[in-house]
Amino acid sequence: MSVNRSELDVGQPAVDSSRLPEEALEDTMRESAARERREKLRMFLTSWQGMTGLILVLVFFASAIFAPWLAPYDPNAIDIANRLSGPTAAHWIGTDQLGRDTFSRILYGGRVALKIAAIGVSVSLVVGLILGMIAGYGPRWLDNLLLLLFDTVRAFPTIILALATVALTGPSLELVLAIVIITSIPQYARVARTATLSLKAADFILAERSLGASTPRILFHHVMPNVVGPLLILAAMEVPVVVTVEAGLSFLGLGVLPPTASWGTILNEGYLVIRDTPWMVIAGGIPLILTTLGFTFLGEALRDIFDPRMGRGR
Amino acid sequence: MTRFNQTRRAFLAGTAAAGAAAMLPMPAFAQSGGGTLRLRLDGDIDILDPGYMTGGIEIEAQKQCLPFLAQYKREGGTFTWEPTYFVERLEQRDSTHIDFTLAEGLVWSGGYGPVTASDVKYSYERMKGTDWSGYFEALDRVEVTDARSGTIVLNKPFAPFIMVTLCHGPGAVLSEAAMKEVGERFTTKFPAICGPYQLELTPGQRALYTPNPDWTGPAPAYERVECPIITEVKAAELAFEAGELHCTEVGADTLARYSANMPEGAEITVGGELQYMWLGMNTDHPKLADKTVRRAIQHAVDVESILQGAYSGTTTRSYGIICPGLIGKRDSTRYYQYDPQKARDLLAEAGITGLDLTLRTLNTQERMLAAQIIQANLAGVGINVRVLPLDSGPFWEMGQESKGDTWQELELWLMRFGTTPDPYEATQWFTSDQVGIWNWERWTSEEYDSLYEEGIRETDPEKRHEIYVRMQEIMEETGAYVWINHEPEAFVHSSDVVVNAAPSGELNYRRFERA
Repeated sequence: MSVNRSELDVGQPAVDSSRLPEEALEDTMRESAARERREKLRMFLTSWQGMTGLILVLVFFASAIFAPWLAPYDPNAIDIANRLSGPTAAHWIGTDQLGRDTFSRILYGGRVALKIAAIGVSVSLVVGLILGMIAGYGPRWLDNLLLLLFDTVRAFPTIILALATVALTGPSLELVLAIVIITSIPQYARVARTATLSLKAADFILAERSLGASTPRILFHHVMPNVVGPLLILAAMEVPVVVTVEAGLSFLGLGVLPPTASWGTILNEGYLVIRDTPWMVIAGGIPLILTTLGFTFLGEALRDIFDPRMGRGR
Repeated sequence: MTRFNQTRRAFLAGTAAAGAAAMLPMPAFAQSGGGTLRLRLDGDIDILDPGYMTGGIEIEAQKQCLPFLAQYKREGGTFTWEPTYFVERLEQRDSTHIDFTLAEGLVWSGGYGPVTASDVKYSYERMKGTDWSGYFEALDRVEVTDARSGTIVLNKPFAPFIMVTLCHGPGAVLSEAAMKEVGERFTTKFPAICGPYQLELTPGQRALYTPNPDWTGPAPAYERVECPIITEVKAAELAFEAGELHCTEVGADTLARYSANMPEGAEITVGGELQYMWLGMNTDHPKLADKTVRRAIQHAVDVESILQGAYSGTTTRSYGIICPGLIGKRDSTRYYQYDPQKARDLLAEAGITGLDLTLRTLNTQERMLAAQIIQANLAGVGINVRVLPLDSGPFWEMGQESKGDTWQELELWLMRFGTTPDPYEATQWFTSDQVGIWNWERWTSEEYDSLYEEGIRETDPEKRHEIYVRMQEIMEETGAYVWINHEPEAFVHSSDVVVNAAPSGELNYRRFERA
């Protein structure tokens, strides 16, 4: 069949006549994608929820990263003579039972939360993604085995798992990380598995398979790019949960070891002296509230923009 | 119909409002009007058997439901003993014979008949083969004279036997017939009781004491005693302030706050200071085998900072294991004082740099603070300390060879023992045969062992004082101890309640009174 180029050009925007129609189509698609990205960015920038979340998250990251430069005191420096003082010019939000500067300890506590959140969420996301894809793409018996594993892990309440583990190993930051990772993996894995199952019978996957592509190639080159988007949104929503879990475990004495400052330990120490001075509880609670609020707002805004279907089920 | 929509944010807002409301001023403290006394129980009662109990709250339960021949009596700042209402007579005839006659009309519950001298004989001679046999080391036998009378015969002169053994939990009398029926051991249910109260336990929730229908003795001031289980001291303090409890133990911070500004309608009663706390070191551990290193640690710890920072200045500084008011109490240390420079010099002399140690402690507020001060003190002389907080289960087992291998890894730990009003009791845990049991520092001394035996036999107070001071010097000289404090058992209670507490802090509900 012959094609009349002049007929194709009628009513079309100026397109280089020397280019093939496939290239023109690609350009159009690219432009459409750019338009879509601009539209999403505009939606994000005009969302009060998204911007508030972004600002809070940036403040959290900045204060944690630059804590050594922002903190007026060594967070572990003991000053018994000044114990349990209220806010003063020297100690903006007072001191704890050992006279340590609460403001400095809160800044350093942010570093613990950041470390747990960054490492915990990223490791559990990667492992959950891989296991979920394997479960969704692999044979039925492997799927059943992994599902059983995911459900078994999810059946353990985080605190009970932490208590049992601490009884064996003693509390530590590494333990908190391990618990966060182990208990988070099944969430990512289940989402990845479901998405992989829906892609498994897609034409482009069947085509790849018929062309002899290896399973790892299919999973990492074709399935993963289509699965990872919802997982990233889930990860953003998971950060406040992880920060709260760390604070909760540290509050219970199952987290970081003394004298390391963590928002949970500050809250615990503050709770013990709340009748003497309420400042530690207030100071320990505010960053926790703002950080979880920031990540929640940010995650919800991203979800509404990038995957509005996920929000409808609420 | 109005539909109730609960959102996550609404829930958070509601919770915040409820939290704010909880910060508002509390109502007046509970007054103990009526026949019910409400007290705190710090955990579940596991073993009521005096031979195999852990102690503490279990002893409190025994005192309500079982007969004792003697009880503590406070005289000013010291404790002595007096016969209980379970006996007509209790007399020390000579240094090895104690005569007793039981009161008339005492009967066991469950139809086990009257309380007899044979029950006393059975109970005390049985204790010699139990976990608490140490308290009956001086007991030879009990001779039964008639149904209600007998004589406790000691195998050597041991003056503190009544104070140390008969007034304390191990001195409880059991029904021989009932014990034989239950296989001579029991856990959470008394085989038979003879006391003003009967006990009903609800695991994880409470202990309830109600009147014993078979009791013929004097009625206690309170008809019922309710003891909800509240594990956290701070939660119990809040429960007291909210009017839910009539009496509870308080922590050091709260004691300091109340002492400075006592709330209306509340009072503080200090049970005693018969507790001694120290920083212990394992002399067998390769890192601490050199006495110079241990001596350096002794010099590096600022005990005064611990007393102020962790205990708000509410405790007495310790110079040994003998508590205030007892024979043998020391007033100073002999081999060390706080001197960080001396500590650095000693470490240099030992050729030690970059020493890493682990300090194990119970995960309670005061201990954690004390551990962090020690951590900072030792960091100041170049020793890096990792603080390892533990629950009471693993903590109390860590130095015992029969409970695993942790004793081999022990380096430093914060320990507190309670004791009875005689120096003999405190010194018994550090003899050579206690290595791997309670002597976790794992040193031995023939002189200490022989002084221990001498202290039991000696009746002259001045000579006993010299013996026990010397024993503490031997302990300190090992370098394995930094003495910290004698912590009081302090109770806050409503002002219409008169608290009765043993010197080691156990409450005796049947001896509570109304003010």
